[in-house]
Amino acid sequence: MLCQSCGKNDAVIFLKAAVNNKVTGIHLCGHCAEEKGVTFSGLDAEPLNLSGMPGHFGGYFKEFLPREKRTLRCRTCGQAYHEFKESGLLGCPGCYAEFAPQLTELLTRIHGSCAHTGKQYAVTGKTPAARPRESAAGLREALKKAVAREDFEAAARLRDRIKELGGANG
Amino acid sequence: MGKVIGAFRAHVTWANPKGKWPDIIFSTRVRLARNLAGAAFPHSAPAAALRGIRETALETAKATRLFARGHYLKTDALSPLEKKFLVERHHISHNLASSERAGAVAVSNDEDLAVMVNEEDHLRLQSIASGFSIDAALGAVNRLDAELGRLLPYAFNAKFGFLTACPTNVGTGMRVSCLVHLPALSRAGRMPGLLESLSRLGVTARGIYGEGTCVLGDFYQISNATCLGRSEEEFCADLDRTIANLIRLEISAREELVIPGVRLKTEDGVFRAYGLLKNARSVSYGEFMQNLSLVRMGAAMGYSIRTDFGTLNQFALLMQPAHLEAMAGRPLGPDERDAERAAYIRKNLN
Repeated sequence: MLCQSCGKNDAVIFLKAAVNNKVTGIHLCGHCAEEKGVTFSGLDAEPLNLSGMPGHFGGYFKEFLPREKRTLRCRTCGQAYHEFKESGLLGCPGCYAEFAPQLTELLTRIHGSCAHTGKQYAVTGKTPAARPRESAAGLREALKKAVAREDFEAAARLRDRIKELGGANG
Repeated sequence: MGKVIGAFRAHVTWANPKGKWPDIIFSTRVRLARNLAGAAFPHSAPAAALRGIRETALETAKATRLFARGHYLKTDALSPLEKKFLVERHHISHNLASSERAGAVAVSNDEDLAVMVNEEDHLRLQSIASGFSIDAALGAVNRLDAELGRLLPYAFNAKFGFLTACPTNVGTGMRVSCLVHLPALSRAGRMPGLLESLSRLGVTARGIYGEGTCVLGDFYQISNATCLGRSEEEFCADLDRTIANLIRLEISAREELVIPGVRLKTEDGVFRAYGLLKNARSVSYGEFMQNLSLVRMGAAMGYSIRTDFGTLNQFALLMQPAHLEAMAGRPLGPDERDAERAAYIRKNLN
C-alpha cells in the first residue's frame, strides 16, 4: 500500500489517533511518519503533528469568533482581540473584563454556558506585586560584586535580568 | 541515571490496581488550571515575571506541607532525559517539557499530587489516583487548591470563574479524566462509533499522553470536554456515569469474545501475545503495548496467565523509553532500547 500522505513510498506504519473524538487512521511511509513526529523507537511519546490530518484543531477559534468592527485592545496587557483570534490565548486575566461581550458569545458556543456556577473564591493571598521588586540599580551593584569575585555565571544571570528590566525599573 | 530520576520511586504507587474496576480503569486524574491575579498569562509575561512566579509558586507549594519530602524541579535545570521521564510519569506535559520558559513542577513524595508552573497557565494542579476513583482524586486536588488559594491570589471573576489563558479552560478550570483500557470494544471495532457518541455527550477521548497523542494499547483518556456552566461535582458525576457505561459496554464486549466460535480465536490471541512478551528479543513500545493490552485483557478474563495487574501496570510505565534509559543507567539507541525492553519483560513477566 502507498503512503497516504506523499503517495510515493510504500506505507510502513498505520497511525491511529483520537482527534476531536474520532479515531482517525492513516497509512504512512517512514519519511512522512517522521515528519508527523512519529519515531520508531517505541512511539517515543512526542506530541504528533496532526495538522495534515482530518479534523485538526487549527483555526478553531477563528471560525467561532464573531468579527469585531474596530481594533479591540486590552488596557491591562495591550493584547489585541485579533491576536487572541490567531493564537487562541488571552494575554492576562484583565482580557476577560475587556473582551466580555465577545467572550460571552464565544464561551456559550464552547461550553454551552457563559456563567460560572462552580466553586467560589475570595482573594486572600498576597499579590505577586507585594514581593520586593528587583531594582536595576541593586542588580548592577550585585553584578559589580559578582565580577569582582570572578563569579561569571552569577554575573551573566544578573546581566540578563538587568537587560530584561530595561530602564523601567532603574 | 542522575540525582533527579534516582530520587523518584522505582515502583509507581498510583499504578497499583487499587481502586474500583482496576482491570478496566487504570487511573483517575483531576487537574485544575489556576492563574495569579494581576499577572500576565505565561505566554505573554516577561521572563523576569515568570521567574518570580516560579519562585513564589514553589515556595507556596512547600508552605502547604502537602509536598513534604517531595520533588521541586525547575525545568531549565533538567536534562532532556529527565524531562522525558517526567512526561512519561504524567507529572509534566509535553508543552512544559519543550518550553523555553521558566517552568517548574512540584511533585509529592507519593507522586499523587503535582503542581506544574508556567505551562499554559501559571499553575496546573493535579491529583492522580489508582483505578476508578473520581471522588478521591477530586477531594485531594480540592485540598491542594484550598491551601494554594489561601496563600496565593488567584485570578477569579464572579461571572466567568477561574480565569485561564485559553477560554476552553475557564470556569471551573477542571479536567477530570480516567485512563481506560478498552481492548474488547476496540477489537469489536466499536470505538469510532462510541467516541462519536461520547463527543455528543460533552466527553473527550484522547491518547495515553493527552491531547494530540496516539492511542496505544487500547488505552483511552476520557475527560469532560467543557468546564463552565456546571459545578465541579456535576462535571464529575457526568464523567462517572459515562465511565460506568463504558465499563458495562466493555464487560459485555468481553463476554462476546468467549461465545462458542469466537472463544478459540480470543484465547489464541491472548496466549500469542503472552508468548511474544515472554520470548521476544526486541520489542518496540508500540508493539509491547499492543501485546500487553491482550495479556491484560486475558488476565481479566480469567485465562491462566501467571501475572497480575500490578505487574502489568508497572510494565506499562517502566517500559517507556526514558524509564528504560534511566534503568540502564546510560543512553540507549532505539535498537538497544527495544532489546533492553524485551530482556526486562522476559526476566520479570511470570
